[in-house]
Amino acid sequence: MENENKKILDVKDLKIQIKMDEGLLTPVRGVNFSVYENETLGLVGESGCGKSLTCKAILGINGKKAHASGNIDFYKDGEVMNLLDLKPDGEKIRSIRGKQISMVFQEPMTSFSPLFTIGSQMTETIRLHITKDKKEAKEIAIDMMKKVGISNAEKRFTQYPHEFSGGMLQRALIATSLVCHPRLLIADEPTTALDVTIQAQILELMQQLQKDYGMGILYVTHDLGTVAKICDRVIVMYLGKIVEMASVRDLFHNPIHPYTRGLIGSVHKIGGKKERLFSIDGTVPLAMNLSDVCGFEDRCTSKCEACKGCEPELTEVSEGHFVACYRGAEFANGGQKNV
Amino acid sequence: MSEVILKVNNLCKYFDSKGVTIRAVNDISFEMEKGETVGIVGESGCGKTTLGRTIVGAYVPSSGSAEYRAADGEVYDLSNIDKKKMKELRKEIQMIFQDPYSSLDPRMTVFDIISEPLKANFKLKKEEIEEKVKFIAEKVGLKTEFLKRYPHAFSGGQRQRIGIARALVMYPRLIICDEAVSALDVSVQAQVVNLLKDLQKDMDLTYIFISHDLSVVEHISDRVGVMYLGRMVEYADTASIFEKPMHPYTEALLSAVPIPDPDMNNERIPLAGEIPNPANPPKGCPFHTRCRYCTEKCHTEVPEFREREKGHFVACHLTDTSMIKGIVKPKEGM
Repeated sequence: MENENKKILDVKDLKIQIKMDEGLLTPVRGVNFSVYENETLGLVGESGCGKSLTCKAILGINGKKAHASGNIDFYKDGEVMNLLDLKPDGEKIRSIRGKQISMVFQEPMTSFSPLFTIGSQMTETIRLHITKDKKEAKEIAIDMMKKVGISNAEKRFTQYPHEFSGGMLQRALIATSLVCHPRLLIADEPTTALDVTIQAQILELMQQLQKDYGMGILYVTHDLGTVAKICDRVIVMYLGKIVEMASVRDLFHNPIHPYTRGLIGSVHKIGGKKERLFSIDGTVPLAMNLSDVCGFEDRCTSKCEACKGCEPELTEVSEGHFVACYRGAEFANGGQKNV
Repeated sequence: MSEVILKVNNLCKYFDSKGVTIRAVNDISFEMEKGETVGIVGESGCGKTTLGRTIVGAYVPSSGSAEYRAADGEVYDLSNIDKKKMKELRKEIQMIFQDPYSSLDPRMTVFDIISEPLKANFKLKKEEIEEKVKFIAEKVGLKTEFLKRYPHAFSGGQRQRIGIARALVMYPRLIICDEAVSALDVSVQAQVVNLLKDLQKDMDLTYIFISHDLSVVEHISDRVGVMYLGRMVEYADTASIFEKPMHPYTEALLSAVPIPDPDMNNERIPLAGEIPNPANPPKGCPFHTRCRYCTEKCHTEVPEFREREKGHFVACHLTDTSMIKGIVKPKEGM
């Protein structure tokens, strides 16, 4: 992908393993991608495909049980540092978390502590990273609250989370995460818990703020509608691996991997024909004791002989369009698709 | 012509909390025919769930009636019925809940969960129960060896199948699906939606499908009701609601739905402000504070919910609705 924007993040061969009583779980099995400034990168997949773990690994907040290997290179003022090398509770990562890279979580209701006012929780970040002065911190916070469209910000500043509606609280959370003007915003299903009307407002808000600050956004979701609306590039994950990566137009107009095609096919389009929805048979296997074959093999409708061998690599089939499928090139060149 | 199975007349459900009355369901009327699916959409807090629960009799309505034509051909008013009869009718009216994780008792096996309604309502022999449970389990796509397991061993989609089996084992006629697929991943959602449609054909079921996901509602419903702040603002067949809506709220709601096609995202019609506090709804039309076509009349008078075109009910003062836009149809072959 030709990209004039600066690279912010480079994830290389990221693997995450979790020791369980039943054995070793590998929810993320070698993921490679980059995020650039001014770009929104979508990360799509079903629950359990490892998308949230990947995001949390970037910030080093997966907890001690999850062991991550590989590289997460963060580019900052010409310097490169591997975030995985940093101590998860060390000073260095703490100076990045919230300031350089921040995250918006799925549930605004549980992301704030009910015991403190919104204002005190917002200024916590500001006083840690920007200024020690309480008054100045308050001004910055209120300014940011106004930017994200919270009316009556001065009053809202002193209120507790229970006095906010879901949409307003998500705005407050976005305000908190953006207050230090991060270079990378990780948004983990930020609108899933919200109504469509509020979801649309929040998405437009994020697009506007991206224009203002030029940050990169890593947008995690399983909703293909929002992906089509706001993303520039999209990564599709299945069973801890990237199965397809393409620009948003390529992905929707020419999906190649059978899993991607299944996902897109299973969404009903309003106004479209009311035929039976396509559904992918079976369920996602548990990421434990996996064999070497392609992870999607037993659910795939287009499998061939080669699929029984080792897992396919992610390869470029057309410019900027990567697929991990043995029949990728064939499908890309107009081969018959079963979906 | 199909018979009317449910006729809701001016149904109201008010809750009193700390001296404030919240009109969760306010003067709702609609009717539905046997074998059809009626979708109920609206933002959170608009009263869709309360409407569903009032219809099944989980809440006693404050006023109004819900006339249900039972299997014996008699019409009963569910809002005013003696307990014994209600218990009988509950067999015919079942509910499927939103969250497959919290609606199943983790200490019961799948068999116990599915058989519980049978044990509570009928005196059956053990073998008969077993036979019925197995039959239903197979119908919803659960293997019989799964019956001995506990809910924790299942994925979200499988759990929702258990919830569906529990509702179906009574051979109901009317099922209220309250956000039945909202918690599921898209591909699993498709499986469950297909299952619900198959079962409807198979067992002659009538659904009330409550959801905030407009694309699923459009797919599954024959008719759709749009709710706002406890009131039904529009009720019509699905195609009319989506292609020729007549209420400004429906228009705004439709324009906010993200379309899974990067080239097609339409101009959103912004809704000013937030949904008003239901304890203190605006005077006049409840939607007038956010409506872009608002006129003087809307501030003072509550619009009547009336039939504007055949089968198309709207509660709005606008006389000319030609500027209200529906969805943009996707191109063919997509």
